[in-house]
Amino acid sequence: MRSRAFENAVLASPLVLFLLAILGFPALLSLVYAVSETTFRTLTAPRFVGGANFAAVWADGAFWRAAWFSLRFGAITAVLQCALGLFLAVYLYPLIRRHGWMVAVLIVPMIVAPAMMGLMYRLVLHEFVGPVPHYLYLWFGWSPAFLSPANVFATVVAAETLQWTPFAFLLFLAAYGAIPQDLREAAMVDGTRPWRLFWRIELPLMMPTVFVALFVRFIDGFRVFDNIYTLVGAGPGGATTSLSIYIFETFLRRAEIGKAMAAAVLLFLASTLLFVAARALVLRGREGRG
Amino acid sequence: MALRWAVFGLAALLLNFPVIATAVTAFKAPGEVTRNPSLWIEEPTLANFAAVLTASDRLNIYHHLGNSLVAALIGAVLPLVVAFPLAWAMVRRGVGRGVLFPVVVNLRALPLIIFAIPLYMMYAAAGLLDTRLGLGLVLAVVNLPLAVLLLVNAVGDIPAELEEAARMDGARLPRLLLRVVLPLCRPAFVTAFVFGFITAWNEFLFGLILTTREAVPVTVGASFFFATAGGGVQWGMAAAVMVVAALPPLVLGLVMYRRITGSVMAGAVKG
Repeated sequence: MRSRAFENAVLASPLVLFLLAILGFPALLSLVYAVSETTFRTLTAPRFVGGANFAAVWADGAFWRAAWFSLRFGAITAVLQCALGLFLAVYLYPLIRRHGWMVAVLIVPMIVAPAMMGLMYRLVLHEFVGPVPHYLYLWFGWSPAFLSPANVFATVVAAETLQWTPFAFLLFLAAYGAIPQDLREAAMVDGTRPWRLFWRIELPLMMPTVFVALFVRFIDGFRVFDNIYTLVGAGPGGATTSLSIYIFETFLRRAEIGKAMAAAVLLFLASTLLFVAARALVLRGREGRG
Repeated sequence: MALRWAVFGLAALLLNFPVIATAVTAFKAPGEVTRNPSLWIEEPTLANFAAVLTASDRLNIYHHLGNSLVAALIGAVLPLVVAFPLAWAMVRRGVGRGVLFPVVVNLRALPLIIFAIPLYMMYAAAGLLDTRLGLGLVLAVVNLPLAVLLLVNAVGDIPAELEEAARMDGARLPRLLLRVVLPLCRPAFVTAFVFGFITAWNEFLFGLILTTREAVPVTVGASFFFATAGGGVQWGMAAAVMVVAALPPLVLGLVMYRRITGSVMAGAVKG
């Protein structure tokens, strides 16, 4: 029995050691730096300041604006992606069942780096070289300033939604395909109309997947960085500063390392809380619908 | 059916519009880019690609592509190596089921910036800043949750009797793992590798923070083309560099698109 315990330890050790080295040690470091005052010049000599960094973050209006941005961005993009993805999956299913390659065409955006996507939008929306303003002027004689303070939020929401709708689409496609065919046929024999079939039978069966998709897309939207950063950075007047961008700017631009660490610790706690809460919702949703 | 085809065409155009427009722009001559923003190319040219492939110094694309390739390979392979023995022990003996499994799987939900800053401190002390190895190691952390999930599922699908039969024949544990379990898990390895490589190649934030010159990946290197001094952005060249940077994961992803579907599903089942 002793050799079995030893075997188990050996089997688990590569992953455990790797995690301790790459995450455990930095986690300790971040706790040290979160309660210290440090600049890039005094990296090795942090000065203990207690809870001052946390107090500074807590009192920083920009931090709360960033938190509000991330929550709103995560919630809105998750709902839009799931609505659009659900529609595409259900409506295109009869075609896709016979032409599998259609899936490949629709998931291209997922395979492009979000950072590249942000840069591509810089080109596509550019007022002189971008095709979007070009065609809007050509057809409607008008084009909005996509990156102005008034419009920039809608622009980044649209960019995120269009890139990650395929993710929700894939999940719904699988869930829809898993509904037993005889269930549909039985309903059709009873004279149930397609709309009713969807609302009364198919959608309730897909509800667990809807919750999972909303949850996963919210998490990814909440922590957004790459595409917003390469498209507009912190945005006009900080209008697109997500929590990730706030911490990045505090760290690299303003070199307030202790404050950035304290914000990161707070973000960690907030994410964990959100995660636990959302997970509970998902699990309840699953059980509730059987 | 015709309406369904139309909806498909519209969705394909809308979702892929930035990619299509960028690819089109990459084939326009520098003069044409500013004169003609439409999706029609008057005089197709490879000049932008030639310019990208011969740019030097900070814009040396081969250097960035090489960095991305090495870091993404480390980031895709290492999680499989460390996760495989644990996945087996977890399924067959319940090792780490209670704490390790949920902790690792839930890593996926954390904002990456949380890791980036403390890692910067540690890398500065360990001499890993601006190295391909340092970048690859942290990308491996990003890919770890999916690797664990996929391998645990794969090992769970192997009938226990099969392993017992091998045991009866006198196979010891290392042999059993490498000769019996590993080949049976091959589809999961391929899926995790494909998705992991694409994720690692596409990562941006760690490249931005942890590299400065020597190990800059192509996602960060491509953005250098948007910040060239004097005369503003050369859009044709910028478009070409994005096509070059996006091509490796796109080719891999489209050839293996069924694997992408599989990994999305596995990641979502456990939430």
